[in-house]
Amino acid sequence: METCYHCGDELPNPSIHFDKKEFCCHGCSNVYALLNNHALKDFYQFERTPGNKPKKGRSDKYQFLDIPEIRERFIQFEDDHIVRVCLSLPSIHCTSCIYLLENLSKINSHVRSSQVHFAKKEATIVFQKDGFSLSELADLLQFIGYEPDFGRKSSAKGTKISFLLKIGLAGFAFGSIMLWSAPDYFGITLDNVSFRNFTAYLSFLVSLPVFLYSANEYYLSAYKAIRSRSINLDVPITLGIFALYAQSTFQIFTQQGPGYMDSFAGFIFFLLIGKWFQNRTYQSLSFDRDYSSYFPVAIHRLTEKGIEIIPIEQLKQGERIQVRNEEIIPCDSLLLSDEAQIDYSFVTGESEIITKKKGAFIYAGGKLTGMSIELQVKSETNRSHLTQLWNETKDKKEANPFVRYQDRISRYFLLILLLVALVSGIIWAFLDPNKIMMVIVSILIVACPCALALSSPFTLGNAMSVLGKNGLYLKNTNIVEALGEITTIVFDKTGTLTDPLAYRLEYSNSVMQDEDWRMLKELSSHSTHPLSKLIHSNLQEIATGIHMESFQEWKGKGIEGKLNGADYLLGSAKFTGVASTKWKNGSVYFTKNGELLQEVHFTSAFRTEIPEILQQLSDKKLFVLSGDDSKDLDKLVSLGFQAEHCFFHQEPKDKALFIEAKQASGEKVLMLGDGLNDVGALGMAHVGIALSEDMFRFTPSSDAILDAHHLRLLPQFFQVSKYAKSVLKICLAFSITYNLIGLSFAVSASLSPIVAAILMPISSITVVFLSTALIHFKYWRSI
Amino acid sequence: MGMIYLMLIVSLCIAAFFLLFFLWATKNGQFDDDYTPSVRMLFEDEPKLKDE
Repeated sequence: METCYHCGDELPNPSIHFDKKEFCCHGCSNVYALLNNHALKDFYQFERTPGNKPKKGRSDKYQFLDIPEIRERFIQFEDDHIVRVCLSLPSIHCTSCIYLLENLSKINSHVRSSQVHFAKKEATIVFQKDGFSLSELADLLQFIGYEPDFGRKSSAKGTKISFLLKIGLAGFAFGSIMLWSAPDYFGITLDNVSFRNFTAYLSFLVSLPVFLYSANEYYLSAYKAIRSRSINLDVPITLGIFALYAQSTFQIFTQQGPGYMDSFAGFIFFLLIGKWFQNRTYQSLSFDRDYSSYFPVAIHRLTEKGIEIIPIEQLKQGERIQVRNEEIIPCDSLLLSDEAQIDYSFVTGESEIITKKKGAFIYAGGKLTGMSIELQVKSETNRSHLTQLWNETKDKKEANPFVRYQDRISRYFLLILLLVALVSGIIWAFLDPNKIMMVIVSILIVACPCALALSSPFTLGNAMSVLGKNGLYLKNTNIVEALGEITTIVFDKTGTLTDPLAYRLEYSNSVMQDEDWRMLKELSSHSTHPLSKLIHSNLQEIATGIHMESFQEWKGKGIEGKLNGADYLLGSAKFTGVASTKWKNGSVYFTKNGELLQEVHFTSAFRTEIPEILQQLSDKKLFVLSGDDSKDLDKLVSLGFQAEHCFFHQEPKDKALFIEAKQASGEKVLMLGDGLNDVGALGMAHVGIALSEDMFRFTPSSDAILDAHHLRLLPQFFQVSKYAKSVLKICLAFSITYNLIGLSFAVSASLSPIVAAILMPISSITVVFLSTALIHFKYWRSI
Repeated sequence: MGMIYLMLIVSLCIAAFFLLFFLWATKNGQFDDDYTPSVRMLFEDEPKLKDE
């Protein structure tokens, strides 16, 4: 396959030749020429076809960035000469991107410097104020194929510095104390009492900040759990920490020995590392987008003085606004123009474009296609129908949190622990009452579930990274566990089961004359409109080679061509002047001398991998909730769904209620959706997965984002989750064995600091190694 | 014996120095981005042309 030298897309016919290379569009060849002129040819050296196809935009698209209130939101620093901005550039994807963006100053001399943060997909750019503006910078970035995303808020810093400080302190204490405890490990007991006391006090001093600061999250979490009358794993951990620290401090100050301070510091160090591993997340993805990142930043307001640009928050009820082609309707409003064509597929799931007449009420969230319109604002954005729905369902899930496996077993763990301590206390009361205290404290120390606490973050964290490599990006590690328990899967139809990028064409009239077919193909090849391109590629078997007498394209309406004196039109119903015969919407009409020859109907096609997926998921209950009407029912059944499990005309609220009802009957529900109409359902379900064609564009808030190219792996994701659960169990068995060994020492009153110091790290390291090895060994190549 | 006390204190100071160094590095963003710098160093610096 011939591909574009810049972006790697398939070459159209005819392609664009420039400098002995072939390109798919002028956008790509322009970027190539620009890079060539500025000696940035290395861009094409690092990777093959590294470029992004630049999107066409209006020249005034970024005008709103010159409004002071909006501009200052994106600016980090500014003085009299320079400005520093940090922009989110979702199309950053490879080495060449970094090269190009960091050499931006060569393309435009106003740019002083630029630095890319690859993981966050952000660029920090410093430019001169003199003769250059933020909007011009945005235009430049758009021109070279890196369209800035102004809706996304700059992500929070990955790991908090205070957390790294905690790890650092614990590691410092761990290493230092081990240094002067080394003689003890080798059985060398020094006779010098004052030296022993000196090191013991030093241990106490060094571990004090670890006790007071590094470990404080565990105390807090245990306290919260107890106050809400539940038990999590942090309760036995806190108990162990206190016992360990109290016992050691007592020993040091009564000058009986060095205590277990090395074990203590090491213990906290390992625990914190486990926590750090668990909390690593995908920095460039946002799972909790709110409505404001969906709506545009600025609005065109119409006043007596003309059009002015204002931030969306300043919009007031009753004002008139202008919305242009491809823009989102920002608020519930009345239509003042004659007619508007609005695409609500992302909001309601209805696949067809809706035509509204003058005076109609228009809900926020739809995307305008076609001519720009005037609207009168009926309610502000934050009070619109859509945002209310969004906010309504947002908190419902928090009322019903997921109980982690490790927290579930920690209840039994604590119970057994206390029981063992009690029984051995009673036994020792008969054997040697002086040792009761020591035995009980040793039991609490050695049973402290360090390895247990590490099994879960490492097992689930590794599973999460395996899933991430295969296109499923999870919000946190809890989702790995939750995935394995799913019994019911609910699919959205439009955009989820159907492929928004693929179309199926239907013709109303299959017995058209050969000449007319050829004319249809010829006409469609002369237009750049996406629908004509679809027709053209669909008519491959029709012969070409017609020479039209004249030809004219009417932008956004249709094409006109003359052949043998006959006048052919291809375009919308309005343009061709005919009424629809077969389909209500979504058609293109082809006429000859004003007479309808052909109606071409476009419907979205189902994803090809669906039947295969459904077959593999036969052990789960499968449902379809669609915002559309039931015209696709037959197709859904042929894909493998049961007819009584398909529901149509589902409002966003109905979807959420449906899931709530299923959950009430004990099902664990996974919701797979893509649009805003699924926001409520995604939030309600045990696991809500947002399907996305482009990972870094807008997705509704969810627990996980699935790259649509990897949808066929859905059944395997459940397998990974189940496997992770088994690994978790193996690790737990190991760590409990270690605890039992330690307990046998403790119960027999022979736990020495050396045994504790050896047992604790060994058990932790085994568990970490085991979980990592088991997961990556099985899935190191593919899942 | 006095030597051991001294060495202990010295070793503790060295460890403390590394702790502070680690904190300084974290605060300065050394660990913010662990990918881009590894790629950036591969880019060819163009020979600086002298002003004619």
